[in-house]
Amino acid sequence: MEDEVVEKATSLIKIPVTLEIPIGPQHPAIHEPVLLKVYADGEEIVGVEIGTGYNHRGVEKLLENNTFYKDKFIASRICGICNTVHENCFTRAVEYVAGMEPSPRAKYLRVLVMELERIHSHMIINAIMAEIIGFDTLFMYIMRDRELVMKAKEIVSGGRVLAEFHMFGGVRRDIDDIKRDRLIEILKKVEPRLKYYRKLFENDPTISKRLTEIGVLKAKDATSHGMLGPILRGSGIRSDVRAEDKYDAYGEIPFNVIVRGEGDSLARMLVRWDEALESLEMCKYILEHLPSGSAVVDERKLPRTFPPGESFARVEAPRGELTYYIQHTGGNKPYRVKVRTPSFNNIINSGFSYLGHSIADVPVILVSYDPCISCMERAIVVDLKKGVEKRVTLREIAMGVAAP
Amino acid sequence: MSIIREVIKNLLSKPVTIEYPRKPTPIEKDFRGRHYADLKKCTGCTLCAIECPSNCITMEKLPEDVRLKHNPRGLYPNINYMSCVFCYRCVTVCPVNAYMTTNEYRMSSIKEVYSRELTLQTLG
Repeated sequence: MEDEVVEKATSLIKIPVTLEIPIGPQHPAIHEPVLLKVYADGEEIVGVEIGTGYNHRGVEKLLENNTFYKDKFIASRICGICNTVHENCFTRAVEYVAGMEPSPRAKYLRVLVMELERIHSHMIINAIMAEIIGFDTLFMYIMRDRELVMKAKEIVSGGRVLAEFHMFGGVRRDIDDIKRDRLIEILKKVEPRLKYYRKLFENDPTISKRLTEIGVLKAKDATSHGMLGPILRGSGIRSDVRAEDKYDAYGEIPFNVIVRGEGDSLARMLVRWDEALESLEMCKYILEHLPSGSAVVDERKLPRTFPPGESFARVEAPRGELTYYIQHTGGNKPYRVKVRTPSFNNIINSGFSYLGHSIADVPVILVSYDPCISCMERAIVVDLKKGVEKRVTLREIAMGVAAP
Repeated sequence: MSIIREVIKNLLSKPVTIEYPRKPTPIEKDFRGRHYADLKKCTGCTLCAIECPSNCITMEKLPEDVRLKHNPRGLYPNINYMSCVFCYRCVTVCPVNAYMTTNEYRMSSIKEVYSRELTLQTLG
């Protein structure tokens, strides 16, 4: 039988060998668990599958089971680096439900902490980028200078990383004149360093050879795949929630939205450096123009329960637009809290941008998106009786269709 | 533009790292560190244990020979520092400001560390 087939065949199809390379889930460029299944034809990448699910913690369910006051602390633990923006977004969403309004000084202080966080977040991802491309000296220097910003955050909030600064209706700590002078001094030290690193990223041949023209995202692709934050701004699209919504004190503090048109990895990193410098100017402005009055709320006098209602809040996290949706039916616990983090859009949709590049470029492109894996983990619904997996689309969740 | 000038400058300067266990880390006075209840003020109202986001505070009975007028139920909070997240919610929510705060952060241990001894020391 087989001989007959061989005799009749006139042509032979040879399928080229495609190599499947798992990058991750341990240590894929960044120190967070995500699996990139890279299919390579020789050195060229022909397909990328992004596998998540190694770090799912069920935070949204946890938020539903705890009171608003506990939720505020749980929300800030969704992400370590951008904890203040999570805190701010949750606090503002609850304030919209409860009809609270923080004082002007509290609003300025909130912006101060968030901008300090943006500086150190942008510094750490640029440091990691330097480490990924084998430029470890630069990594060490950026991390050394980042420590100054961490100290500034410690002075303001009492914690190096987790600020725990927000409370419904205000903030939990205030700064005096001594602290203000110390902060200005630290910012004066940080400014020349940021300018130096920005110049280095623009001019150093080691960096530009590895980052230029790598992972180019056209403006059309960036919008159609729902990219957010510095990635979108690096592709030439002017989108910044701080400028659009003018929440907290952003309407009163002058700042520029940084946009670059190149769309490659280098453009994204330079957008981050420029933003860090812009944040530094904002911090200086805040410290010089801090309104007088009270900022700290007495937590003992806050209401135990909030009136029913629903609210939607969004902030510009260091990685892009972060949104919180709260549905509240009365009592002291929320009925539903939906968190949409920027990394969820930026990483899961980014598979197409690796195609055509070499294997060595995968970590560079991944890091240029500034992934935060613990932010973006989502669950897959599994029917245990039938053994069927189902992915719930955003449309189904929005329409309220019950999962099987 | 090159990093070499920066490298040479740093080679000649002192190291920025600290020999941590031998030299103390510079830490702010109001850093959120180890905190414990002051029994001279604590009324045993249990509010801190209810409000704790990480459920690390348990209310315990005072020793039998200790009777406090302002603490009729004879309860005091015992904090498990291993599960405490140092958010200071207990400190800010306390109706009588009974919590003593320090900037002590060196609490790593192979055993569970509780605030019981520190709290009972406040009886004087």
